Amino acid sequence: MKRKQGFWTKIGVRIPLVLWSLAVLYPILWMILGAFKSNAEIYANPWGLPDSFSFGNFIDAWSNYNIDISVFNSLIVTGLGALLTLVMAIPTAYALERLRFRGNRLLFTLYISAMMIPMVLGWIPLFFLLMQLNLLDNIFGLAIVYAVSQLPFSIFVLTSFMATIPKSLEEAAAIDGMSPYKILWKIITPLSMTGIITVTIMNMIQFWNEYFMALIFLQSENNYTLALAIDYISNETQYTNSWGTLFASLVIAIVPVIILYAIFQRRIVKGMTEGAIKG
Amino acid sequence: MVQSKKQRYLFLAFCLVPTFLMFALFTLYPLFNGLYYSFFQWSGSSSLAEFTGFDNYRKLFSDEIIPATIWHDYFLVITKIIGIMILATFFAVALTQMRIKEAPFYRIVFFFPNIMSVVVIGILWMFIYNPSLGLVNSGLEFLGLGEWTKAWLGDEDWALPSLVLPSVWAGIGLFMLMLMGGISNISKSYYEAAEIDGANGWQQFWKITLPLVWPQIKISILYIIITTLNGSFIIVQVMTKGGPNNATHVMGSYLYEEAFVKYNFGYGATIGVMILVLSLITVLIMQYFMRREKVEY
Repeated sequence: MKRKQGFWTKIGVRIPLVLWSLAVLYPILWMILGAFKSNAEIYANPWGLPDSFSFGNFIDAWSNYNIDISVFNSLIVTGLGALLTLVMAIPTAYALERLRFRGNRLLFTLYISAMMIPMVLGWIPLFFLLMQLNLLDNIFGLAIVYAVSQLPFSIFVLTSFMATIPKSLEEAAAIDGMSPYKILWKIITPLSMTGIITVTIMNMIQFWNEYFMALIFLQSENNYTLALAIDYISNETQYTNSWGTLFASLVIAIVPVIILYAIFQRRIVKGMTEGAIKG
Repeated sequence: MVQSKKQRYLFLAFCLVPTFLMFALFTLYPLFNGLYYSFFQWSGSSSLAEFTGFDNYRKLFSDEIIPATIWHDYFLVITKIIGIMILATFFAVALTQMRIKEAPFYRIVFFFPNIMSVVVIGILWMFIYNPSLGLVNSGLEFLGLGEWTKAWLGDEDWALPSLVLPSVWAGIGLFMLMLMGGISNISKSYYEAAEIDGANGWQQFWKITLPLVWPQIKISILYIIITTLNGSFIIVQVMTKGGPNNATHVMGSYLYEEAFVKYNFGYGATIGVMILVLSLITVLIMQYFMRREKVEY
């Protein structure tokens, strides 16, 4: 295709692109810089470079605002939640994709349509269910809730990955006398590793970022996840004006996501667009 | 296959039953139970739940805040659809068809806010809107428009519109990429043919690109509707908590306040049913209006 695009057209198109890049990058960059500024500096020069890089805000957030505990809680919830999701989703995805049984389509549709149902309604009964199970205000309870909430998405992505594995491998293994459990564990799971990794990264980002369920299902400060701790600091900041500490805690929250994005950019993008397109 | 029927069923049960039980317990049961609770007057302790029939629904229809919350939700839906779709379509076309060298850079940057936590986005934007330190007011003053500055999130008229920008900011990347996926699937030969016929870029966009990415546009719009009606309360909770003077309350944040702040769990569940019903109706209506014969050339 030979389309003539004038020099000026290209410049004209680039202006909005550059402006939007600035609109995205500048606040993020500035938040990171703000984390290294003293409060006085933030007031004097909120949008410029810091005079010197000090880690005082990070130390303050880490020790005076119990960010250390909430980072630990978030790590547990994220890791455990992602693991639980896999334990539940892999066998079901395999059965839905490969095994023939009555109600297969129905069950698949049930899981998929749960992606479109607003869960807010369910959160009230879930609150009391967790209370009865002694899992309210408990990070393990939250991890279970998270894991189940990401089941539909995970099953959806995993079934489509498993559909690409050639059936002949399983058949050959079955003829050799391998049990179906072993086939699932030794053949299917390793071969769908790409899908498993994609799903796990997506779920981990989701759990690490999640705020509202944590707000409802956790109560004591010792159990706060990072999102709740930051929200808490943010509410305090209205009175203490310790913006630097707030920015430091935001940076702590965002750095793991930036690292994951830097490594797995393609997978994350693919996972999210496909997850949305299922519609 | 040396497998008895029993073994086969056992394996099937192993694969399906534990997962389904968890799903039923933590997703299906709460949803149906929420519907059930909506017929009770209930402040939390199980002994005091009182069946009140449709009382909560009557209260819902006479509650003065409810119409405002619904309007706020749909205001966000409409403004987000307009803002996101126009920008995302423009960026998607620019990045796929203009052969811009640094396109991957824009793709990576624009998408990043999509994976940021709503808490981080909300707080970041609270600072951008900060009356004395924020970027918006400083920018206006820099441009000599000092009289336009205001406490954006504290102003009853401006608080809700101020929530649109962060949502658009955070949402663009995903939809841009979905549209780019659609555009890159369009065969180049259509554009070549159009070129020979003398169609200009604008005509090509309206006659080729837009009809052929319609499926992606449709999915994007539905996705914005669903995620807004089911999730707008998160950014509201972080940034304004429904204030000032209920000016930004959406259905979900009002549910949260009624149920988990005021302990009116029955009434909260009723609001939840309303959210569910409205989302389903909206999606069905939009699907009807956006249905189009699949375009093939």
